[in-house]
Amino acid sequence: MRRFLLRRLLLAVPTLFGVTVVVFATVALVPGDPVEAFLGPGAPLAARRELTQRLGLDRPLPVRYAAWLWHALHGDLGTSISAQRPVLRLLLPAFGETLLLAGAAFLLVLVGGVLLGGLGAIRPHGLTGRLSGGLSTLFVSAPQYSVSLLLIGLFAVYWPVLPAGGTHNVFGDGGPIDLVQHLVLPAVAAALVPLGLTARVFRAALSTVVEGELADSLRARGLSRTAVLWHCLHNASPALLTIGGLQLAYLLEGVVFVETLFSWPGVGQLLYNALSARDLPVIEGGVLVTAVGFVGINIIVDTAHAVIDPRVRS
Amino acid sequence: MTTTVIRPTTRTVAAISTAGSWLRRNGGVAVPLTLVVLLVLAALAAPLVAPDSPTAGLLQNRMLAPGTPGHLLGTDDQGRDVLSRLIWAARPSLVGGFAPVGAAGALGSALGIAAGLGGRRTEQALLRSLDVLYAFPGILLAMAIATLVDTGLGAVVLALSVVLTPSVARVVFTEVQRIRTAEYLEAARVSGAGRIAIAVRQVVPVVAPVVLVYCSSLIGLSIVYAAGLSFLGLGVSPPTAEWGSMLDELRPELFSHPAVAMMPALAILVVSVIFNSLGEALRRRVGAARDLRPGAGR
Repeated sequence: MRRFLLRRLLLAVPTLFGVTVVVFATVALVPGDPVEAFLGPGAPLAARRELTQRLGLDRPLPVRYAAWLWHALHGDLGTSISAQRPVLRLLLPAFGETLLLAGAAFLLVLVGGVLLGGLGAIRPHGLTGRLSGGLSTLFVSAPQYSVSLLLIGLFAVYWPVLPAGGTHNVFGDGGPIDLVQHLVLPAVAAALVPLGLTARVFRAALSTVVEGELADSLRARGLSRTAVLWHCLHNASPALLTIGGLQLAYLLEGVVFVETLFSWPGVGQLLYNALSARDLPVIEGGVLVTAVGFVGINIIVDTAHAVIDPRVRS
Repeated sequence: MTTTVIRPTTRTVAAISTAGSWLRRNGGVAVPLTLVVLLVLAALAAPLVAPDSPTAGLLQNRMLAPGTPGHLLGTDDQGRDVLSRLIWAARPSLVGGFAPVGAAGALGSALGIAAGLGGRRTEQALLRSLDVLYAFPGILLAMAIATLVDTGLGAVVLALSVVLTPSVARVVFTEVQRIRTAEYLEAARVSGAGRIAIAVRQVVPVVAPVVLVYCSSLIGLSIVYAAGLSFLGLGVSPPTAEWGSMLDELRPELFSHPAVAMMPALAILVVSVIFNSLGEALRRRVGAARDLRPGAGR
């Protein structure tokens, strides 16, 4: 097991290295002169030369990359141009908010995916099966921004039962109930696509087991329906783990839209604002942190898979 | 084999029952396919189909509610007919769906075949590079690339092509891996066929159906991504109508005129459902049990 983990971590090193190269190259290649952006077009030559030197822009690209990587490894992601604060200071609290939203959505994904997919597998024919399949397709096809807008329109404007944005009510006490009320709509909007995918995969996995030899032999031994189902669920759970983990990673992606539309102060909204302001250090840092989180989740999923299923380890 | 004998009382009943059973057998593909064809036709014939101009509006007609005579889906903040804009918007939005998938299908197939047939070194180098692209959440990668390349439909297509290529390459590689030790490939090698000849004559025909089915399931995703990029201000810029940018334009009206503001959101959702149903029906036909959407299984 330890060897598996070690190998998996080592495999991630070149991937992460590549990630940093792509992020750095993207920002380095963006058209436009950052010195001019800082100082304005009419700045004196001496000031420009001084700033170019201070930013290290006179050095060759590989050297700049090495310096940037060195700083990034030490937690220094540069300074935001529009907020004039260290990027990491902006990113860390935002990442916390994003994790909260993604966590709530993930809960919905697991519960909803298992229910929807499970029902479809247990009653594959007739109305239940069709409904399960149809809803999965609908959810998988539902873009986060569309769902966000429709949810706000329906549940915050037409029928104002839930807040349309933010993390807490200005006049409220800011307690947990207030927070949950603000979480419901964005969490649903972020959860639908991964929920549909999870339901589909879980349905496929569970129906393979339910229709397989294991279930037959259990039934032949005279086990009750519930007991057979319990064993089948147990056998289908590794599939749930794999798909669930990947969906957690997918949630990090969907939050860009959801957070923007619901004014949720997470990484997604930070990135959106940085994009409109062309705040390159923030874009760079945000994409880097998200990509590293993505790789991290994949490692955790693989490891958990190996713990459950010894065949994966070799 | 059993044969079902239908005893129709009249011809009409027979016709209906035949149509019904045909639909039951083929409806999964036929219904969404018809809708896709209609959608593409409407986009192509936008000047004929759209009741109004997509860009010219009367300011006294601002924010009319859906159902107003002459404006079935209402008007936007500049008094432009929303239905007409949605129809015209299908043009760039469908390009954003089809073009990246086409490009990624071609490039991904080439990379996947190269990784499958090339030596161990080529295989590892290609797979590792694809892993790097995989490490980015799709929309973030697209955002980063689109920022690089300036805005516009071209930037969207380029960015999404890059985002979709790795998953196509993965699917093709898996397929090539499955057949690369097959006897007919060995026979071709022994008879002196070059690598490229083998790739073109033996491998492409085997891989093509898989790629086509997989790509058809990516079109809906690509449309959603493309509209998303435009929504973020990285795609088509106003006054050109595009589903994502319409969403962004009408967003400030969500609280005062929710019905109109929800129209583009609904349009993208419906189109996405149509394309995904088609992709899914095709996949079920071909019998690929795995879910091949990126993010779903690697």
